[in-house]
Amino acid sequence: MMKFIPLVWAALMRKPVRVVLTLLSVMVAFTLFGLMIGLNATFDLMAEKARADRIYTWPRFGGNGVPVAVARQIEAIPGVKAVTALGFIPGYVQDPKNQTFLLMLDQNAGKVFGDWNVSAEMFDAVWKDRTGIVMTKAQAARWNKKVGDTFTMISKAVKRADGKNSWTFKVLAIANDVPQNSNGFIFGNYEYIDKARPLADQGKVSEIDLLADDPSASTDVAQRIDKKFANSATPMQTITEKLARSGNDFGGLDIKKITYGVALAGMFMVLFLTANGIAQSVRERFTEFATLKTIGFSDRAVTAMVVLESALPCILGAALGIGVAGILARQIPKLMPPNFGIPLPMISPMVILWAASAAFVVALLSAALPILRLKQMDIATALSGRG
Amino acid sequence: MLRQIFIVSALNFKSLTSRFWQSMVIVMGLAATIGVMLSMLSLSAGMREAYIKAGDPGRAIVVSKGADQEGQSAITRAMAPLIADAPGIARDKDGKPLADRGLNMGVPVLRKDGSKGYTTMRGLADKGPGVRPELHIVQGRMFHPGKREMIVGVGAQTMFQHMNIGDKVILPDGQWPIVGVFATGDLLEGQLLGDTETLLTSLHKTNYNSVLVRLASPDSLDIFKKALTTNPALSVSVERHSDWYTRVGNQSTFTLALLGYIVGTVMAIGALFGCLNTMYAAVSTRGREIATLRALGYGAFPVALSVMLEAILLSVTGALIGGGIAWILNDGKQSLFNNSVFHLSVSPAQLELGVTWGIVVALVGGLLPSIRAARRPVVEALRAT
Repeated sequence: MMKFIPLVWAALMRKPVRVVLTLLSVMVAFTLFGLMIGLNATFDLMAEKARADRIYTWPRFGGNGVPVAVARQIEAIPGVKAVTALGFIPGYVQDPKNQTFLLMLDQNAGKVFGDWNVSAEMFDAVWKDRTGIVMTKAQAARWNKKVGDTFTMISKAVKRADGKNSWTFKVLAIANDVPQNSNGFIFGNYEYIDKARPLADQGKVSEIDLLADDPSASTDVAQRIDKKFANSATPMQTITEKLARSGNDFGGLDIKKITYGVALAGMFMVLFLTANGIAQSVRERFTEFATLKTIGFSDRAVTAMVVLESALPCILGAALGIGVAGILARQIPKLMPPNFGIPLPMISPMVILWAASAAFVVALLSAALPILRLKQMDIATALSGRG
Repeated sequence: MLRQIFIVSALNFKSLTSRFWQSMVIVMGLAATIGVMLSMLSLSAGMREAYIKAGDPGRAIVVSKGADQEGQSAITRAMAPLIADAPGIARDKDGKPLADRGLNMGVPVLRKDGSKGYTTMRGLADKGPGVRPELHIVQGRMFHPGKREMIVGVGAQTMFQHMNIGDKVILPDGQWPIVGVFATGDLLEGQLLGDTETLLTSLHKTNYNSVLVRLASPDSLDIFKKALTTNPALSVSVERHSDWYTRVGNQSTFTLALLGYIVGTVMAIGALFGCLNTMYAAVSTRGREIATLRALGYGAFPVALSVMLEAILLSVTGALIGGGIAWILNDGKQSLFNNSVFHLSVSPAQLELGVTWGIVVALVGGLLPSIRAARRPVVEALRAT
């Protein structure tokens, strides 16, 4: 097959504008393909990395949160290994458009979130410094912060005893991101939010996260928690991490359906373009193909040449498109508004495999009709230019 | 000139059939682009419509100062009567002001697909039905004030499990039965409604979230607002209900809309290259015909314009096909995103947007080929095979 490459190359170069435009169109379609299937890959990874033993619970009816005593009661439930209580500060930086939120953790956080890539030293630093925070690299890049910088946010949701609505923190460390949480996070010390609030709000937490002793029993543990507090002043809503991350759920939308739909529409668009290109190219060189057949090129050889001519722009375009998608995916945090709320697409080997398969399918489908025509061609008629 | 344009374009369009498959590249490119874009935008547009319909310019909403969501706002029991006594509020037949103390909070629901989510539970007080005349019961009955009962919207009934009359909703003081189903034609249809005071007791809360008033006339907002903002006993923000929902709706749909436009833009760029390709090919196929026309004395401009018109015709056809498919697949379908239930929407305004994108792609994609068509030396083109 390799020996045909010069012939195919010459054929392609006959209409360079057509080839380049086709290539660009294919590239754009595969950029979209990469981003869409890549987004799916990220959701799949999040589901896969979900810890079977981790459970989240929060007050069923929101409000000001639950007394921290509830966390101690949950600790006493059989099958519970470790419990940590969290507060949230939702708000914005400078402009209401720059929405963000901080997790305010207690000292058990390390036990429950051991998979966060946050070292014991980083946790310790925050426990020692009430106004200290740790952010991941993605967040540090988003807010342009380095260790030692001050981070100030405005929150209308959390009331302060002093009546202000601004919260100031010091960046103590920057942690590496984890792929299953590509947008990163910022966390601080629960003591800070607790002591800054009015007396009536103190001692309350927004969420309680825990680990079950036995991962296979986590659903039971979750049900036990819901049951225990169902008739209390603070009914709880409990969900296992596995369930929360299953089903590619994004606000109730079916991400798989959307991303596959968009990727498929892109492929459909280029299929018409590439099929047309190759059909036209073969039509223009019909006489030449007849000559090739006359001098002894087999049907298989001619087929191979057409497939190659059809496949080259597809494969090259797909490779370029996936490359662009990879670069774009990395730039998304800078290009999109902060807390866009959608995980970053990930160009995994699986995505590349999908793209390569799609490129081959498009190439083969495009080449199918011209190949059929060449097979059925009457050499004498074609040579006379009447084909 | 006009005659020339007409003749050249007519000749051009007549030859389109001989370039059918080539032309289909543009049509299909735009159909895919606009189909995908409008399908994605049907989410944000439908959701935004549900928000905007919920806001009535004849109503005003009062929240605590600076709150931009009802959930963040707290109106104390002392403040509520002061708000109801303010001038500018419409009155019912007994002369009582149409001011409704509202409650607004999330309540966990089980979606029909089995996933867990939230929807909004709203408290309506005695003046609720008067302030919201669009609310009507379609099945069962209204909840009785003071009773632990709920009614659910038709949208909530479609999208969530356990939302039929007789089903129970878990609240901190036990389970409340659903006694009726309501329709409003807007965002509220995805929500649950109960009696404000009874809900407050159940939830161990004391403050309301908002007060919604029916204005005496749409012009009375200024009087009402002035009375509240100058009252030292109150620290509240007042906004026309329609403005409130337009703002909240825009905020909640921003990400979805942005996603739709990004995907649409990327696909449009792909379609643009296809359009360029096709139009260059068309110009070269028609090379001799164009040269003949030019030799006969037809101007360069009508020739260039005919190329542009062809690109526009094909693009707009594609955009309309794509828009039509998006409309058939999505329009009117019940959907949800986060806490909001709404109908997907592909409106005439969006079809117009699709057609506009088609024209833009055609203008950009047709420009270079049309210049080439007009500029190609006549003699050279005539000689070409």
